[in-house]
Amino acid sequence: MSLTASRQGTSGKAGSATSGASARRSGNPRRLYTVENPRKSVALTVMTGLFTLYCLLPLVWLVINATKSQPDFASSFGLAPGHRFALWDNIVEVFRYQDGIFSRWLLNTVVYVVVGATVSTFLAALGGYALAKLDFTGKRVFFFVVLGSIAVPGIALAIPQFLLFTRLGITNTPWAVLIPSFINPFGLYLMWVFAAEAVPTDLLDAAKVDGAGEFRTFLQIGLPMLAPASVTVLLFSFVSIWNNYFLPLIMLKDPNWYPLTIGLNQWNKLGSTAGNGALIQNLVITASLLTIIPLIIAFLSLQRYWQSGLSLGAVKG
Amino acid sequence: MRLHKETRLLSALLGPILVLAACVGCSGGSADGGGGDQQANLTVWSWDGTVAKAVPGFEAENPNIKVKVVNAGSSTDEYTALDNAIQAGSGVPDLAMFEYFALPYFAIPGKLDDLGGFGAESLQKDYVAAAWNDVTVNGKVYGLPSDYGPSAMFYNEATLKKAGVNKPPATWDEYYQDAKKVRALGGNYYIAQDTGDPFFLLSLIWQAGGRPFKVSGNTVHIDFTDPGTTKAVEFWQKMLDEGLVNTKVTAWSDDWNRTLNDGTLASQTMGGWLTSTLPERAPHAAGRFKVALMPQWAQGDEVGSENGGSSFGIPAAAQHKAAAYKFLKYFTHDAGLTPRVAAGAFVPDTSVLESKDAQSKANTYFGGQKVGAVLAEASKSVATGWQYPPFFEWARVTYGDLVSKFYTTGKGSLAQILEEWKQRMTKYGNDQGFKVD
Amino acid sequence: MGQAGRLDDVTPVVASSDTRQYRARAGKRSKKQIGLAFIAPFGLLFALVYIVPIIYAAYLSLFRQQLVGGNRFIGLANYRELFRDPQFWDSVGRVFWFTLVQVPIMLILAMALALALDSRRLHGTRFMRVSIFLPYAVPAVVSTLMWGFMLGVKYGLFGSVNNALGTDLNPFTPSTTLISIGVMVTWAFTGFNMLIFYAVLKAVPRELYEAAALDGANEFQVVRRIKLPALRRSLIIAIIFSIIGTFQIFNEPLILPSMVASSGITTHYTPNLYAYKLAFTGSQQGYAAALALVMAAITIAVAYAVQIRGLRNVFDS
Repeated sequence: MSLTASRQGTSGKAGSATSGASARRSGNPRRLYTVENPRKSVALTVMTGLFTLYCLLPLVWLVINATKSQPDFASSFGLAPGHRFALWDNIVEVFRYQDGIFSRWLLNTVVYVVVGATVSTFLAALGGYALAKLDFTGKRVFFFVVLGSIAVPGIALAIPQFLLFTRLGITNTPWAVLIPSFINPFGLYLMWVFAAEAVPTDLLDAAKVDGAGEFRTFLQIGLPMLAPASVTVLLFSFVSIWNNYFLPLIMLKDPNWYPLTIGLNQWNKLGSTAGNGALIQNLVITASLLTIIPLIIAFLSLQRYWQSGLSLGAVKG
Repeated sequence: MRLHKETRLLSALLGPILVLAACVGCSGGSADGGGGDQQANLTVWSWDGTVAKAVPGFEAENPNIKVKVVNAGSSTDEYTALDNAIQAGSGVPDLAMFEYFALPYFAIPGKLDDLGGFGAESLQKDYVAAAWNDVTVNGKVYGLPSDYGPSAMFYNEATLKKAGVNKPPATWDEYYQDAKKVRALGGNYYIAQDTGDPFFLLSLIWQAGGRPFKVSGNTVHIDFTDPGTTKAVEFWQKMLDEGLVNTKVTAWSDDWNRTLNDGTLASQTMGGWLTSTLPERAPHAAGRFKVALMPQWAQGDEVGSENGGSSFGIPAAAQHKAAAYKFLKYFTHDAGLTPRVAAGAFVPDTSVLESKDAQSKANTYFGGQKVGAVLAEASKSVATGWQYPPFFEWARVTYGDLVSKFYTTGKGSLAQILEEWKQRMTKYGNDQGFKVD
Repeated sequence: MGQAGRLDDVTPVVASSDTRQYRARAGKRSKKQIGLAFIAPFGLLFALVYIVPIIYAAYLSLFRQQLVGGNRFIGLANYRELFRDPQFWDSVGRVFWFTLVQVPIMLILAMALALALDSRRLHGTRFMRVSIFLPYAVPAVVSTLMWGFMLGVKYGLFGSVNNALGTDLNPFTPSTTLISIGVMVTWAFTGFNMLIFYAVLKAVPRELYEAAALDGANEFQVVRRIKLPALRRSLIIAIIFSIIGTFQIFNEPLILPSMVASSGITTHYTPNLYAYKLAFTGSQQGYAAALALVMAAITIAVAYAVQIRGLRNVFDS
């Protein structure tokens, strides 16, 4: 948590900034001013603010339109509220529509995410630890093959994966979505970097001298020390599995196994495919909002953890 | 059985988790138990919501059969899913929905069962002739028609009046004249929209007597130059060239709903099934829309064509075929029709089309018009002898690629696109092992 | 937090030197077996999810699947056909141009934003940092639905703009759709890249700035001499990952056509979309496999070219 520490360090220094401001007037501006707490720039704030607006606008649009009934959505200006505040009705209807299949999709997504992210993080930790701290034949080759695989486009894998899983008879089961999500090459890399730096070999040796086996040493000493990197890998696996569309699209055809993303698009298509499909744009929009809320909460609440993990990956990468 | 019940309850609560735990490496996609000897759990893939309405009545009559209706995607998505399931050898439904054009794709390679074995042939007389033709491939029956799309013209009476048109066009010549009057209103007013919908163009060709696809066994003959095709294509080309068609708004899009709603789209020539979704898409236009037969190529004719419609068939890999046929017949032919029709289904069964209810019921959305009578007439006038090539699902997607260039840049012509389309189909079809020329 | 504090003190060590020490101390054979055991779960799944599918794809690419007559061995004919396939090259050309324009814009924006945030001259730094990152947490499906609705030509935001100004702007014509997709992709990923750059900047020792200030360097010089060089390595990684990402664009062109009219999106709009349609609409899996493998080769080649060029620049400086 180097970042957190350094941020706290800065806020500690913030107190001296006020004295810096007065120091400027007394004619010794530069040194105290630019480094830790320079003067705020309105122009820079406005420019960055414009970009922030671009980032927030669609989300604001989503929130506003989730409060509209279908007729209001079809007839009112996108950024203006509708005649009637229908958010609660919409939410209730989302959970009721098609015998409440939305909650099933939500549950599926949660299972895919929890199982997938946990297993992939554990496997990455185990592998990264082994790469950094243990010796085995073919390590170099293994490492380069795994890293090289990051550059292989998903499509190159997805079609043969599908055909292979078809042979194994696991398409249209949760395994078809889960198994590919267990492997996170980038997570392995991050864990390797982190294990090499944060886990002192001496400590491991000491544990082994005390009679602990390799695996117990890993579980009791290695794994806890890998915690910061684990949170990062966990969170980013979380996002990529939650947002996954392509893989479940080709692997699953029973709506009972759909994750949210596939279900959402199916609902949207109901009204935009020729035929008698129901027009439920208000539900599509409300369901979209409900889909992104858990992710946004996860990111905001775990900010300090993943930001530090990310910084490590970035600095070392 | 107690155990069975508990398992169900649990799986309902814990669905994914339970199966994950219990089903390591197993291949089945469903959490259902195997079922006893007479007990059949049917899975039906349908994106037609009315099918589910027939289930309670059927289950009451057949306590041994449980029916689960699943939406496995609309159209292409469902076909892809079915193909995948057949390849995977698991998760194949007992009944699946097919648009008429998609039936040969599954029927010809033997992915669907010939329903002759169940005595389906005897039902022929109970359906509109063209609909029966749709489910017949190489002389065998592969599905039962479940909904029908006789082309009809839905027109906004108020908009036409505003343009000085007091009765709907009866011929395409009148249609062309009226189109100019509607366009004269300016703004977004058009008599029609089209962004390259193959089914609309084919419905014109169909009505004009063109038969561009001739299929026999694995041989497909494609020709877009017969007189009927040429007449229809040249007419629509003229409409487009003179800017009488809104080419900015695609059917089924949000924008389309709004043009229907605000009356700027004066008419929509489409399958009869538009009746049930129009009120939802254009609630503000209630009382303004009316239905008429599609305009004719010659005064006094009464020739119709199809635009859409679908059927259900039994995959060769299905598990409970006898039970599946029982349900199929129930909701497409027997008592199951009643709740479906009440829910808005439009079916090609003569028993329904000729019923007093369908003939004389006033539809309030359409200003009290007896819509059922008009559509029944349209159904019966559909010309027969139309065929789709067995790779039409691929072909229609490819058509979209070719036509988008023309509709967005105005370069080329419909005739050129059809010719290019023919070349692409010929290559693809031959690569797939058919004999195409 | 304890170990994290320690992390700051640890000078970066190369992992292999660590393991060498380790090997010297312990019995070789058993160690190797243990190392293998640690890496085995990841390795086996990796083989199942990556290696076997790629080999299987190579095998499949030698066949032609037929609706009538089953599979036929055709040698390298799929590859020969691919290189002559105008639709394939159309899709490759499109993502190539897209990458060439979108990636630099996105990364320059990301860097500028990271520098702005790091300058400490903004009001509301924290709020903006989080807001700009938020789109990353939105699934591509949801973001495409949102932008599709929002940019609706007749009645969406563009419709309102056109009505107000009397213009005829259309974000989804054959010539503008790609720009709109660029806007969506930039929206989704700028924040993520910005955070990586920001993390790197945070890791620059503050003493460097103090020293620069003492030397009388102005802000601009600090950016040029200290901050930009610090970003170089992570920039190369970001370029590589962005290229891999844009080469794989799929969700947007798959979903948009059901949202908007005449967008000019064909089945061969991007290589991924083309492969998907070939495999699942045209049942030409062998041809799709050949396409996927060629795309993988192109992607890896481009990624390596960037890496080598990027590293040479590092050595030059």
